[in-house]
Amino acid sequence: MYEGQALYHPKGWWGRYVFSQDHKVIALQYICVALAIGLTGMFLSLLMRMQLGFPGLFESIDAGNYYQDVTMHGMIMVIYLLTALFLGGFGNYLIPLMLGSRDMAFPFVNMLSFWVYFLSVIILVCSFFVESGPTGAGWTLYPPQSILPGTPGADGAGILLMLGSLAVFIIAFTMGGLNYITTVLQSRAKGMNMMRMPLIIWCLFLATFLGLLAFPALLVGAIMLIFDRVLETSFFMPEIFKGGEVLNYGGGSPVLFQHLFWFFGHPEVYIIALPAFGIISELISCHARKNIFGYNMMVWALIAIAGIAFIVWAHHMYVAGMNPYLGFFFATTTLIIAIPTAIKVYNWVITLWNANIRMTVPMLYCLAFLITFLIGGLTGLFLGNVAVDVPLSDTYFVVGHFHMVMAVSPVLALYGGLYHWYPSVTGRMLDDRLGKIHFWITFVGTYLIYFPMHYIGFLGVPRRYYSNEQYDFIPESVNDLNQFITVCALIVGAAQFILLYNFIVSAVRGKEAGSNPWGACTLEWQTLESPPGHGNWGDKLPVVYRWPYDYGLPGATDDFVPQNIPDEQIT
Amino acid sequence: MNNITNNEERFMGLTHGQVFVYTLMTVISILFLFVTNAYLFRMNFEDWRSVPVPSLLWVNTGSLILASVGMAWTTNGAKKSDLQTIKVGLAIGGLFAVIFVSGQIWAWQQLTTSGFFIAANPANTFFYLITALHALHVLGGIAAWFYVTLKTFKQDASILQPESIGLLGTYWHYMLLVWVMLFGLLLTT
Amino acid sequence: MAFAIVATIIVIGTVLWNAVTPWWFTPLASNWGAFDQTIIISLWVTGVAFVLVSGFIIYCVIKFPYREGHKSEYEPENTKLELWLTVITTIGVLVLLAPGLIAWNDYVALPDEGIEVEGVGQQWVWSYRFPGEDGVYGNTSGRLFSSKNTFGLDPNDPNSLDDILIRSAEVHLPINENVIMQLRSKDVLHDFYIPQFRAKMDLVPGQHTNLWFEPTLLGTYEVACAEYCGTGHFAMRGLITVDTKEDFQVWLEKQPTFAQTLNEGVEGSGKQIAQTLGCVACHSDNGVNGIGPTWKDSFGSTRELASGEIVLVDETYIKESIVNPTAKIASGYAPIMPAYATLSDEELDAIADYIKTLSN
Repeated sequence: MYEGQALYHPKGWWGRYVFSQDHKVIALQYICVALAIGLTGMFLSLLMRMQLGFPGLFESIDAGNYYQDVTMHGMIMVIYLLTALFLGGFGNYLIPLMLGSRDMAFPFVNMLSFWVYFLSVIILVCSFFVESGPTGAGWTLYPPQSILPGTPGADGAGILLMLGSLAVFIIAFTMGGLNYITTVLQSRAKGMNMMRMPLIIWCLFLATFLGLLAFPALLVGAIMLIFDRVLETSFFMPEIFKGGEVLNYGGGSPVLFQHLFWFFGHPEVYIIALPAFGIISELISCHARKNIFGYNMMVWALIAIAGIAFIVWAHHMYVAGMNPYLGFFFATTTLIIAIPTAIKVYNWVITLWNANIRMTVPMLYCLAFLITFLIGGLTGLFLGNVAVDVPLSDTYFVVGHFHMVMAVSPVLALYGGLYHWYPSVTGRMLDDRLGKIHFWITFVGTYLIYFPMHYIGFLGVPRRYYSNEQYDFIPESVNDLNQFITVCALIVGAAQFILLYNFIVSAVRGKEAGSNPWGACTLEWQTLESPPGHGNWGDKLPVVYRWPYDYGLPGATDDFVPQNIPDEQIT
Repeated sequence: MNNITNNEERFMGLTHGQVFVYTLMTVISILFLFVTNAYLFRMNFEDWRSVPVPSLLWVNTGSLILASVGMAWTTNGAKKSDLQTIKVGLAIGGLFAVIFVSGQIWAWQQLTTSGFFIAANPANTFFYLITALHALHVLGGIAAWFYVTLKTFKQDASILQPESIGLLGTYWHYMLLVWVMLFGLLLTT
Repeated sequence: MAFAIVATIIVIGTVLWNAVTPWWFTPLASNWGAFDQTIIISLWVTGVAFVLVSGFIIYCVIKFPYREGHKSEYEPENTKLELWLTVITTIGVLVLLAPGLIAWNDYVALPDEGIEVEGVGQQWVWSYRFPGEDGVYGNTSGRLFSSKNTFGLDPNDPNSLDDILIRSAEVHLPINENVIMQLRSKDVLHDFYIPQFRAKMDLVPGQHTNLWFEPTLLGTYEVACAEYCGTGHFAMRGLITVDTKEDFQVWLEKQPTFAQTLNEGVEGSGKQIAQTLGCVACHSDNGVNGIGPTWKDSFGSTRELASGEIVLVDETYIKESIVNPTAKIASGYAPIMPAYATLSDEELDAIADYIKTLSN
């Protein structure tokens, strides 16, 4: 908010709940839309699993449908669920509250950002209903196949709607992102200097920065691909012989698209991972009742990760036909990025040392995150190491790796975050028993789904295969495993409705949370009203006297000291 | 709630609007950097046939410079709270920006009529893509210009927001800078 | 406590799994054992890291549970500890990186001597070309492709006439000799992958890529496409037979040169056309329905269309379905077949005749 600018006051029901400019309402809108489209993405993955586990059971899943499911599942989960939910949802809710601000710097732009995002989701959903359906080009949308017949959705509107939806999403992200950057830099409460910001704010800030610099690459790639598809230009399209004739293309380079895509695509991994890191940092410190270990090192590790994230992209392209000598450079940078990431993991686990660990549901999610992120991060060392990537790339090892590291881990962090901040939003607690049931099924279930995939990857089973039937090197036992994985996936999928039920019922019948149920130090729990009202802080903005992790501070009466408590009042 | 005491930390003494516009300009720069990179990558392939840059583009460059000068005038007026200067400068800045965009569209027509179709050669495609992307960003600026101009002409100088006008001017100079670099790229290759 | 128990089971299970897993590397049949060794080294290094870190987590969970009124130790920084951890991690990373880079260096440096062979990909079949007696590949161009010249070879280039063309998905290679592969694609991205050889490289239309290996075990191996290339991706299967040098020479001499294929008549060449255009990737000749209906016993049978209409599979229907595949879509199949509109009438006849011979 501008200094001296009057706070925006909503008028009527529409202004309060639909076209609201309040960051908390916008955050909820983002969360609801992202979860809804995320459920669709999960449903698509189950269809995919049905084909892999029980081929032929559903006759309607032909090869074309299968690839459409795979593509839309990937795209929805990465962009429309995780990116939107972490930055649009958590970012919107937490940034102003945790910084002690009344709202985002530009509330109107913030509202626009949500509605443009909503539009991108609508366009995406539309592609399911056009003739020949959504694109089935794989979420990487590699040309030439993504815009040529032979790939589902390529000759209809499917691929165009996909690219258009991405372009609209990028506009929404940019509007939101500019807001987050401005708010973090400009709207911190007095005393909240940069090195007193909660780690999650650092994470969201850097993830936004990554997004702002990386999404333009995708936008350029998408626009050029639309040109190639509609105007028959040849940015990415070389001479192509297809259907018995030479097509009207020539001279382009498919590898150019891959460079553009992965220049976006790799930072995108961190756009999802960094907010998850942030959530874990907050939760682990709060629920272990211990100060986070090595705050400065954590911030510098984050900055290092965000910086190096821009020079590792071609590790997705080791065998893609780029100059093979680039492999040396990208393998080295990729393994270097493991070092700051490892530092973050060490600092989380050291935080547990001599702590006072409360086994709450958010804490369970934190610990589960650490285990799955370890597996996913360590298997990344295989794939980043260029020679190991040769036999493993495009096998199920890759599927296991990236689901562990950027699907299961962020989702576990996300769930931890939802359980942790739900009381702040609704004023009520989520049901603990349902939470634990949901946790155990999700954690153990996803581990059983993705861990064995690494081993059929060692065997060499390629990913993105509709069926393995005709390959002699793939033994029958792989099909048994696929059945087992599908059963696990169905159970895990069904378990997500426990969360949904818990969400809805607890909003009405949950235990009253009070103002600070977890005993947290950060500002979002120190508001005047609880849940925080419009403008967050009543008449007077908070003043910050300390870093956000004063748990177990010697000399204090309580085992935590909130950020807005001056030294005189800690006893 | 009317007398909100805002006591906030600031970054390097910048205003909200400045942070917003500077970050936006960084993002736009990155966008054009990628287009330029793709251009330089693609032009090394053997099917590349450079486009003869229409001489109309020199005229367009001139009008964009004039637009920038007009905006500089406005910014200056805003500093001195001189409403008359602001209005004249805004009018010049906006008018020449519109002339620039129309000129670009005219240049496309010239190219098309002389046979340089968009899909005929990657150099042609890039020419249209680059100029269109830049024109779109100028159009975005013109939308903001409408907003500021409407406000300015409705209100008197005392409640003017010199910040908005200053930022509009910054964006105009920035668009000129981007154009000069892109134009240079098109001319030299 | 529940977490400590489950986590312990998971960690022990994860480690022990490596000893009992039924899925492991296929038997190595090439010189690229270094890749397997690098994977083993990586498994050890990352395994140790995994056990140590998760063991530490489990220990903390058991040792420091919540006690009311208790305060945890206040320790924001420990620079010395952080420095040590960074150094140890860096060493671990170097241990992984060094063998990886060494193996990669061998992989990308093509040997001077060896058998040269070109692998060509198209949706969704493989074909191959040997440079022939002169040892030089003839020039190719994307503009020269046609249903008669499916390799896009330049007939005016003297180097191209003796090139040996393998217009089927099975190729033979000699044992214990370097095989230097040049790879190119006619349409979209593909990836040439032989699990037992551990080798893999993308085929990129419009450019050449390279791959080399030395087969070390006699036998027949499958080639799988490892880069998504459209609906038939999973069906893009090829075969490599590793022969003794003598058997290989005998096999190679039986294969036609480019000059010989130029003189082939169209009549009776339906099978060859179906192979080179990639029809066989979707339409089998053995009665198994794939992405498209099988050709076996199809001629003269009736077929239900997606519209519910029943049609007779005759010459007219077959030809129409080649030239304009979306006109009549067989029930149960996706409308994804590209139109082969440029085939000559003779070529269409040849294909229809071939389909006829499959129905008895």
